[in-house]
Amino acid sequence: MNSDSEKSDYLLLFRGADWHKDLSPDEIQKTMTTWMAWFSRLMAEGRCKGGQSLAPDSKVVSGKMKNVVDGPYAEAKESVAGYFILSVSSLEEATEIAQECPTLGYGTTVEVRPLLARCAASELAAREMATAEV
Amino acid sequence: MSSTPAKSEYLLLFRGLDWHRGLTPEEVQKIMIDWMAWSDRLVAEGRSKARSSLSGGGKIISGKDRKVSDGPFAEAKEAVAGYFLLEVSGLDEAVEIARECPTVPFGATVEVRPMPAQCLASQLAAAPLECIAEMLNGRSVTSPVTNAAASALA
Repeated sequence: MNSDSEKSDYLLLFRGADWHKDLSPDEIQKTMTTWMAWFSRLMAEGRCKGGQSLAPDSKVVSGKMKNVVDGPYAEAKESVAGYFILSVSSLEEATEIAQECPTLGYGTTVEVRPLLARCAASELAAREMATAEV
Repeated sequence: MSSTPAKSEYLLLFRGLDWHRGLTPEEVQKIMIDWMAWSDRLVAEGRSKARSSLSGGGKIISGKDRKVSDGPFAEAKEAVAGYFLLEVSGLDEAVEIARECPTVPFGATVEVRPMPAQCLASQLAAAPLECIAEMLNGRSVTSPVTNAAASALA
């Protein structure tokens, strides 16, 4: 077992809001039961720190005028439907977990992204302050 | 009982990796100082519960054969660069915060996504079969579960 200090955080983004399109209610429920068992196991193993599903209705803010329009941002196939935050020893382990996703066979895509230990914005800001102190 | 109005969670997804294109290093740093001040203020106010930036690297898994490929995941303009997890009184407040994002005027996009009080997957796993289609088609955001959960905790 690795100690916590050797672990890094990874974000799994589950993309695709229409995986259930061609499934019966029974198949959907069976898939979601498998999904919850998978999530509960990862939580119990300490490899998942949390996760959530996202509601499909959303707002999108962009542009110089900071316009607000109704979402979703992306097409149903690419839209983010939920996420897990993993605490694991490597990108390979995070990828292995992503490959266990129960809806992969129905069109879901899983994006695995390393979370930066230190926020990129704070690094850029700190660099400026260090320069200013010199 | 608490007099604090019920709060809901919203995820802000910051999209766009190239907002800094065309800016000088000095301008980029000034915007990032604004960003950190904004982000720290939201945490201090108790309106932001979690935040992180994402590394540009990573993997994509897709298809029945669970194929693994390297990024890029989306065009630089659309790729997710980081997120905030907000706890606020409603969608309007979450959108107001999104409009304060310092990189939006330079091309970043903020996607505001409500988080259901109870995870949809667990609801679908437990619901009567005749409710499944309705839940997937017209699922509501503000679940009465929020108030029940709040009362249980009080």
